[in-house]
Amino acid sequence: VTLVSKRPDVGAPRPWRFPVFERHSAAGGQVITAHLPGRPLALTALVVDAGASREPAGREGIAELVARALSEGTTSHDAHEFAVAGERLGAGWRASTDWDSLRCGFEVPIGALTAATELLAEAVHAAAFDDEALDRVRAERIDEIGIERSQPGARAGEAFAAEVFADSSRYHRSDAGDVESLTALSNDDIRAYRADRLTAPGATLVLVGDLEGVDVEALARLVFPGDKAASPPVTAPDVTLRGSGRRVVVVDRPGSVQSMLLVGHDGPKRRIEDYVAMTTMSLVLGGMFSSRLNLKLREEKGYAYGAFGGFDTRRDGGLFVARAAVQSDVTIPALADLVTEIERMHAHGVTADELEAARAYRAGVFPINFAGVMAVGSGLGDLVVHDFADDHFDRLRERVLDVRKDELDAAAATRLRPADLVTVVVGDAAGFADELASAGLGPVTIVTDDP
Amino acid sequence: VATIARYPYTEHRLDNGLRVIISEDHLAAVVAVNLWYGVGSRHEVEGRTGFAHLFEHLMFQGSANVGRGEHFSIVNSCGGTLNGTTWCDRTNYFETLPSHQLATGLWLEADRMGGLLDALDQANLDNQRAVVKNEKRQTRDNQPYGSWLEHMHELCYPPGHPYHHTTIGSMADLDAASLDDARAFYRTWYAPDNAVLSIVGDVETAAALDLVRHFFGGIPPKGEFPTPPSTAIAPRLGGEVRRTVTDRIPVPRAFVGYRSAPFGTAEFDALQVATTVLGGGRGSRLYKSLVLDRQLLQPSDGSVIDSWPFIGGASLTIADLPAREGVAIEELEAAYHAEVDRIADGVTAEEVERAAALITSQWLHHLSSVEGRADAFGQYATLLGDPGALNDALPRWLEVTADDVVAVVAAVLRADNRVVVTFVADRADDLDGSASDTDADAPADDTADEDVDDREAAA
Repeated sequence: VTLVSKRPDVGAPRPWRFPVFERHSAAGGQVITAHLPGRPLALTALVVDAGASREPAGREGIAELVARALSEGTTSHDAHEFAVAGERLGAGWRASTDWDSLRCGFEVPIGALTAATELLAEAVHAAAFDDEALDRVRAERIDEIGIERSQPGARAGEAFAAEVFADSSRYHRSDAGDVESLTALSNDDIRAYRADRLTAPGATLVLVGDLEGVDVEALARLVFPGDKAASPPVTAPDVTLRGSGRRVVVVDRPGSVQSMLLVGHDGPKRRIEDYVAMTTMSLVLGGMFSSRLNLKLREEKGYAYGAFGGFDTRRDGGLFVARAAVQSDVTIPALADLVTEIERMHAHGVTADELEAARAYRAGVFPINFAGVMAVGSGLGDLVVHDFADDHFDRLRERVLDVRKDELDAAAATRLRPADLVTVVVGDAAGFADELASAGLGPVTIVTDDP
Repeated sequence: VATIARYPYTEHRLDNGLRVIISEDHLAAVVAVNLWYGVGSRHEVEGRTGFAHLFEHLMFQGSANVGRGEHFSIVNSCGGTLNGTTWCDRTNYFETLPSHQLATGLWLEADRMGGLLDALDQANLDNQRAVVKNEKRQTRDNQPYGSWLEHMHELCYPPGHPYHHTTIGSMADLDAASLDDARAFYRTWYAPDNAVLSIVGDVETAAALDLVRHFFGGIPPKGEFPTPPSTAIAPRLGGEVRRTVTDRIPVPRAFVGYRSAPFGTAEFDALQVATTVLGGGRGSRLYKSLVLDRQLLQPSDGSVIDSWPFIGGASLTIADLPAREGVAIEELEAAYHAEVDRIADGVTAEEVERAAALITSQWLHHLSSVEGRADAFGQYATLLGDPGALNDALPRWLEVTADDVVAVVAAVLRADNRVVVTFVADRADDLDGSASDTDADAPADDTADEDVDDREAAA
């Protein structure tokens, strides 16, 4: 066997910039278009400021129901006919909400872009929202929550958010709501939320693909309402914390062969000065395969299939969380490793080599992350949601290349707060509850699972 | 009908037998490297289930000139992403890189193809064995319904058949795996003449081929490979097989599996269209009947029913039927079978057109990324022996007629050719699933083969 022993020298990368795009105002809305020649598929989608964080108290989960009900029939097509109309174009309907936006639209062969946009407009403006459809969508969502909660990871995430944020905070509950909030909604609530937030001006139409010859103005006229009144103002969500100091919540599931571990605390919102330093630091801690958490728990100890950690930054606040699913008999030592790595990063920051590795990965992966039509569309939606400048992604990449060790170390010292760690364990409490009480992670609350 | 685009590629064979497929695409400054090896869990020997996948993990642990942990860190520091997967018929390894880093990806792949044993040691094996066992716990044993695939393999394929067990294998067999097993497995199967290397993206073909020769040219061929265990099997089950599993689950759920023809056959293609008519998309028959009209089935984003691309004696077509809260699983299952049987009354041209349009756009979506296309070239070259079959796939689907759909449903989706695995809730909170067969085990008249398995991720 003859192998090349030395890692090859390579040339310079092809220069990269985020795809060129244009913004237009048309027919009472905003349009962003990115012309990507040669692509067989295109995206036509609406981005609306109607995410979960803008839901009124007691209406948690209403945005997601509105998103789902859009495709459940219109004044001219029932739910089945609407689905068939899109699918005969080869158009895949997607509608979803996250904390900060509602997005809906089609990925479609470029030749059917106009027809798909007509269907998008029909969904937004003429969806029937009749009682039968709304009752069914709500019931399906409630069942789905039951299925999700049966999975250890989702159940742990729910318990974590509930312990970090106060009951009054929107972030205390899942972005999709819960059984209690969904049950309390009336169909009139759903219709009103849709009327206030979805069919009023203020949305953005995102068109990405080979747009040669596409009449953007005409598509905008289909989708936008013209001169209707603006949406009523919304207020930023309550992000009050539930408490401070270390504490532990155990969701007891007798017989579990693994413990799902989450360790973390609240985190900052997306638009902060040290965003690049903070998130590059968290790549070193838990955001890459060769991160400290994964090397420790997986590659050194074999405790888990993987261990990860990072920040979830939303428009108004967020979370820091490290996670791993570990075999039950190492619950305590695995938790100790997670906590130790967070403390070590907080106290000592990163090494020069770690910084270089994280920077090279993060700056280098931009061309891959934005290679496809859907990814470019998603990035453009993020610009809208966070009100970023047009050169945001190019500047972000330049900032990654510039970020310094002292900036990462400062972010580790301020953004990680080992004294406030909330620990959640979903697993068989009988195997670790005693040791957990004296593990230095704070007072332990054990709740019986309620499947 | 619009002209169907054909993806350009060139095919080459090195003197050592390595097949190389290069497809240029300069839309973005990225390149996908995807290496398919013709070995999977169906090549495992008795008492070593799960070994092909465990071995896949060892391939990331370093090689002659790559230190432990460096495979991941080098790719990441190039701005690249990577992983590997194992299934019944094959194992693959892949990375996507900024295009100027092609040489780095090829160097890494060549080094572990030719020089893995220099780095393989007991500590690596023990560590990755523990990781894989936790992968099994995380993705199967500690998940509601997590055992369904194991039941399906067990009941669709008779004992001793290479697809009788899942790719993830059993804990006992993983425990038994030794360093000698790993060395023997590597020496038996990992060679340039048992691999297909696909390169798709922003490259110049001639220059890329030169790089391939430079890095892979010094690895000798193996020449011959053992005959894998026979996958010969009867094309149909010849009876209904049922199993009820009691588990701690939120809602009852039934999985219905059918023995169907292997990947690459006309029956497989017709089934793709038939299952899309039946259960692909929200405009499908099953969605209309079971979700919208009768509210028996919990909707999901995926297709209700789909076929897996196994190349042995028979593949698997599987329907996934989670019940809505309060719905008796018997009622859901009966309604499902009734809807399948109704296909015999005929399928309209409009339904076939809807399915064809969906299949077309999903195929374009899959192939529009360099990663997806490199994987597909590797799949068609490895499983069917011809990378060009990728360009024939869509025309073949589009030729399927309404009559073909009726015929294939009548032949395959029938009561005497199905395995039904039903999960029912154990309100006593017994987390360990217990199974009881309400019928005999799989029919005994099988003499054929097949491939089944679960996809595995290395990272």
